[in-house]
Amino acid sequence: MELSKKIALIVFAGVVLSTIWTVFMVLPAVSALMSVLALTHQFGYYGQVALQALFIYLFSIVPISVIVWVVVRRMVVNPIIHINETAKIIASGNLGKRVDIVSNDEIGQLGASLNAMVGNLASAFQNMANSLGEVTKKEVELRKNFKALAESKAQDEALLTSIGDGVIATDHEGKIIFTNKETEQMLGWKTEEMIGSIWDQVVTAMEERSESLDQVKHTTIQTVLKGGSKAKIDCFLAKRDGTKFPVAVTVSPIINAGVIFGMIILFRDITKEKEVDRMKTEFISLASHQLRTPLSAIRWFAELMLDGTSGQLSSEQHELAQNISLSAERMVELVNSLLNISRIESGRIIIDPQPTDLVQLAQEVIKDVEAKYKEKNQKVVISAHEALPKISIDPRLVRQVYMNLLTNAIKYSPQGTDIIIFISRKGEEIISQVSDSGYGIPKKDQGKLFQKFFRAENIIKVETDGTGLGLYLVKAIIESSKGRIWFSSEEGKGTTFWFSLPVAGTPARKGEVSLDS
Amino acid sequence: MIQVVIVEDEKLLREAIVRKLDGKGIQPIPFESGKTALEYLKGAPNMPDIIWLDYYLKDINGLDFMYEIKEDSRLSKIPVMVVSNSASAEKVSKMLAVGVQKYLLKADYTLDDLIKAIDQILAQVKKEQEQK
Repeated sequence: MELSKKIALIVFAGVVLSTIWTVFMVLPAVSALMSVLALTHQFGYYGQVALQALFIYLFSIVPISVIVWVVVRRMVVNPIIHINETAKIIASGNLGKRVDIVSNDEIGQLGASLNAMVGNLASAFQNMANSLGEVTKKEVELRKNFKALAESKAQDEALLTSIGDGVIATDHEGKIIFTNKETEQMLGWKTEEMIGSIWDQVVTAMEERSESLDQVKHTTIQTVLKGGSKAKIDCFLAKRDGTKFPVAVTVSPIINAGVIFGMIILFRDITKEKEVDRMKTEFISLASHQLRTPLSAIRWFAELMLDGTSGQLSSEQHELAQNISLSAERMVELVNSLLNISRIESGRIIIDPQPTDLVQLAQEVIKDVEAKYKEKNQKVVISAHEALPKISIDPRLVRQVYMNLLTNAIKYSPQGTDIIIFISRKGEEIISQVSDSGYGIPKKDQGKLFQKFFRAENIIKVETDGTGLGLYLVKAIIESSKGRIWFSSEEGKGTTFWFSLPVAGTPARKGEVSLDS
Repeated sequence: MIQVVIVEDEKLLREAIVRKLDGKGIQPIPFESGKTALEYLKGAPNMPDIIWLDYYLKDINGLDFMYEIKEDSRLSKIPVMVVSNSASAEKVSKMLAVGVQKYLLKADYTLDDLIKAIDQILAQVKKEQEQK
């Protein structure tokens, strides 16, 4: 029942009860009392009425009011006090406390609502506490991960810093963002001085004999901008104090998620390798020169046997002496080739470009080998585009190229075949072509053709004479002359070699050695 | 008879050259060192027709040998042919500049070739003398 109705009922019941009580009990009792006490005469009419009213009040209104108050207090006030105190306890933090609900009225509902609210609050707190626990757990985990990350980062940095070669990393503009200890030692700059600078202002790269770093710059910038594969360069680096040292440099783009955000430059001091290489070249040179003395002796004494100075030989003895002579000759050629290769490889070869008519040069070579191809009943035919320009190349070097290609064509073609030389211009290049209808090069050997000491399987059987150095030398000469060489061959049908030389010519080089010396 | 002074410190090579020249009717006058050859030349009553010179000798190199020859007006007219194991461009051009007629690489030639080279030089010298 609603509280207002309850109170109305109580008040109504109080009024009814007090009326009944007053009419049937109090009024008679008051009349009787008045009579008994004989107070009527003393107070007059109004006095009696007042006295009666007083008695009625005392015996009727007061007790009934007290009863009504007690009832109302029990029903309304006490529960509110209880709710209030309970609320205070809850407010102090005891979320387990609940209101004791005794009625179903608004106060009971208030208590129930309070209980529900506290219940919700408690579960919310519980949830919050649970979440907080998880958050704390996660934080601990995160801290752990962070520590591990920091350790791993430090480890990575230590790893990079401790690399025994120079390492420089730059951003996409070429500004240095990282260098290692070895870089400091090699270049003489401190890391903090290098960070933020454009790399080529700190790292001065150049060719051994020039101050130019164009090639290095070009290659590295290309690598970064175009995102091509890494570039490898051998060059010289200048230290802070200006001293130069040789290095092998590898420049790679740094790519993350398909975006190039910088480059990494790795460089290794190759002073020792260069020194070893120089010693190797010197050794080959010295050994080859030393070999020439006994070779000359063998050759000359075989010659003396053959020319009959010391008496006539039998035909068998003549043949044996002839073999000695030919072998010695072959060995002389081998020594010459070795020397030429060591000269080319050392990079010390002189390149002395002269305006040269390639057709004329080729004709001279043809003349030099006339005896060889005539002996095999072969023909050498030369043709060329009209009005080819003279180009500035080293005629002594290019002569060697024609010589080797032509000698090979003669040697590795059967009797009576033709050898064709064709010289033409294609764009900015002069192309020389040497074709034969000879034994050809087996497919499986074609990849190794320009390797040092390589001789194709089929021609070793046909022609024992040969060093396997000729084409290697040819390629080295062409490349140092800024040209290209390629070929096409079919076993049993023949081979065509092409080599190109730039119309612009070969730049001069102040070397120290020349071929065939 | 043509006389050739041979300066070659390798015994076997010297021997081969001497045998070849003898066989060809040329008179070899062999020396194993530069200094003994120079000594001989300075005191010789007749000048040889040509000097066959190795570049690397144990006591002196070809260039110094040439300087000595060129200082002596009597010797300076003798043609010289260098037959050496090594012929760098620098050496060759220096030797030709001091008056050497030919600079040949030893191992590349037979003795017959070298005698032909002597004949060529002598013919050339003769031609020049006639022109004068």
